[in-house]
Amino acid sequence: MRIFCLELKRVLQARLTWILLALALILSVLLAYLPATYCYSSYTDEAGNEVNLTGLASISYEKERQADASGIVTPERVREAVEIYQACLTSYGVTESYDLPEGVYEEEILPIAPLLHGVKEAFADPDTGMAPTIMEIDPEKIDGYYSVCEARIASLMAMEQPDSPAAQRRAVEMYRKVEKPFEVYPGMSSTILDYQNIMGFLVLLFCVVIAAPVFSAGYQSGADDILRCTKHGRVTLGVSKVFAALFVSGAAFVTCAAAHILVVNSLFGWECTKTSVQMLYSIVTLTSMNIGELQRLFAAAGLLSVLASVSFTLLLSSRCKTSAASLASGLIFCIAPVVLSMTMPGALSTWLCSILPASGTSIQAGILYAITGFKFLSLGELAVWTPWAMIGACIIEIPLFSFLAVRSYCRHTAA
Amino acid sequence: MELMIDHASKRFNDKTAVSDISLKLTPGVWGLLGANGAGKTTLMRMIAGIMPPTSGQVTYDGVPVQTLGERYRDIFGFLPQDFGFPPEFTVKDYLTYAAALKGLPERQSRRKIQELLERVSLLDVCNRKISKLSGGMRRRVGIAQALLNDPEVLILDEPTGGLDPGERVRFRNLLSEFAHDRIVLISTHIVPDVEYIAACHAIIKGGRLLATGTTEELTRLVEGKVWSCTLPAEAVPEYESKLQVTNLRNENGGSVSVRYLSDRPYSAASIPATPRLEDLYLWLFPESSGEHDRRVR
Repeated sequence: MRIFCLELKRVLQARLTWILLALALILSVLLAYLPATYCYSSYTDEAGNEVNLTGLASISYEKERQADASGIVTPERVREAVEIYQACLTSYGVTESYDLPEGVYEEEILPIAPLLHGVKEAFADPDTGMAPTIMEIDPEKIDGYYSVCEARIASLMAMEQPDSPAAQRRAVEMYRKVEKPFEVYPGMSSTILDYQNIMGFLVLLFCVVIAAPVFSAGYQSGADDILRCTKHGRVTLGVSKVFAALFVSGAAFVTCAAAHILVVNSLFGWECTKTSVQMLYSIVTLTSMNIGELQRLFAAAGLLSVLASVSFTLLLSSRCKTSAASLASGLIFCIAPVVLSMTMPGALSTWLCSILPASGTSIQAGILYAITGFKFLSLGELAVWTPWAMIGACIIEIPLFSFLAVRSYCRHTAA
Repeated sequence: MELMIDHASKRFNDKTAVSDISLKLTPGVWGLLGANGAGKTTLMRMIAGIMPPTSGQVTYDGVPVQTLGERYRDIFGFLPQDFGFPPEFTVKDYLTYAAALKGLPERQSRRKIQELLERVSLLDVCNRKISKLSGGMRRRVGIAQALLNDPEVLILDEPTGGLDPGERVRFRNLLSEFAHDRIVLISTHIVPDVEYIAACHAIIKGGRLLATGTTEELTRLVEGKVWSCTLPAEAVPEYESKLQVTNLRNENGGSVSVRYLSDRPYSAASIPATPRLEDLYLWLFPESSGEHDRRVR
């Protein structure tokens, strides 16, 4: 414990550590605030002047306008919203809302818009996947809205994973267990979780930069030659170094994620976090959780991913002779899931992106996209939803890579 | 207490750094002499257990040091030739860190650190970052950490490099006091540093052990080969071109006192000189005094 504390003190005494930790915290808050600045609304006031609103004023205006849509998304309320929509567009002789005269959308459609989320997707053609316009949907069919959604997940999976009946079955089972009816509390968009993803990725990079020289810097400077000749200079020191790096990284991520979520929810409204994931992402999203729970799961998975990446970086550090080599290789593995997801199509990419330690916080291939997606790792009759695979892989990788890092450090010999 | 190097060899690809060295180290100060690249550092790293021998072994009281592991490192102190420090540490932080790794209880480590800081004259810079210290000060921090656990086996690789004359004297005194009933091995190519304090020496060249023995035994090897004479300054170039001159000293009146190594006296004015360890070193490592260049010329 004494050696762990001293090692922790050593890590925290480094100026670079503090600069990176401070930068991570500032960016976390900034990235929480940024989505609010992109919000934009406009309306025509009673005097006929066009009023443009941005930022918090826009959020506040839209929440006020959509207040009546808040609550449980019953089929009746969805049907009513569809009927209002259809009546509005019919009265103006158009088939798409963007053809409506100026100000009409804000006046008549905006208040019911949250309830219309996912309706087109639910009624998509089971064979082609093409979504109809809301005007084409028969309101009477909305009475069985959630049955339609369950049928939709089956047809979607048949298209997405035609070669894996196990994945299809698993998806239908999962969706059946999703708590319904959904709930919606307007105010948030999926952008805020994209920014949480960026925040996680940046903190991951900073943690890797902190962890990369843990072993290799000592090899490079020769400091290690002295330390490994001491009584506790092998296993105990190796374990202490690993735990200290994991502790600093974990604490940094938890602090940044907590600050980020706190700022986001304070800006957009804590009540918005009760919105079902299906009312912000796909209506057939497989998980039964609200936005708040998604934020927390995403943060927890991000934490595991950061810890797995840091333990992997420590392994690299214990194998590299210079800090530059361990840093470069660590960063390559951080961006590997992004590159793989963009360049390597098919099941191999899905597998690699699920087991690489940095996948949890990766841009585009991260766990957020896995949770809101429909990918499964299929192995015969076994089908594992990729978010669980990512989390499972991280849980295995953290002790595995940590053990290998300590082992590699202990076996290191002077050059 | 006995540290045995038993037919130890170390090869790096096609280069043999240490070749079949056997040496029994008993309590006392040992000097390990050899020119740069002779294999001293490789041998010391094998003794320290941070570089496994390609063949042979190092044992302490009959047990291989790799087998002893933590028990060996508990009684071991090491100062490598080229070493660094974590850049974020102050002197005191570093010694506290090293003391914890050496298993010293907290209170004892505070007392020991204070004592060593005084001994190596670093008390006034104990809160300064090591990265801000001069080379000599850093070397003294290295010496202090090696002594923290009062090691039974102390290995110092070029410990006096970068120390000024006063610091070297203090270091020699410190080591002389420390060395009772302990095995201390000091590698150096600065011969006077070990001549004063080492009872025995081992001389290695090209990775091979050339000779071992006390200062007297070893200097006997060059008995009758060390000469001195006083000559006019104009004659010095001739001596330098034809002989291995080990020392030149200007005397009053424009004459120069010359000390040289040769199987026989070069001139009738030459008289035999009492051999010193440095003479033996230069005899064995002529390249150190530029003898190789002279022969080529």
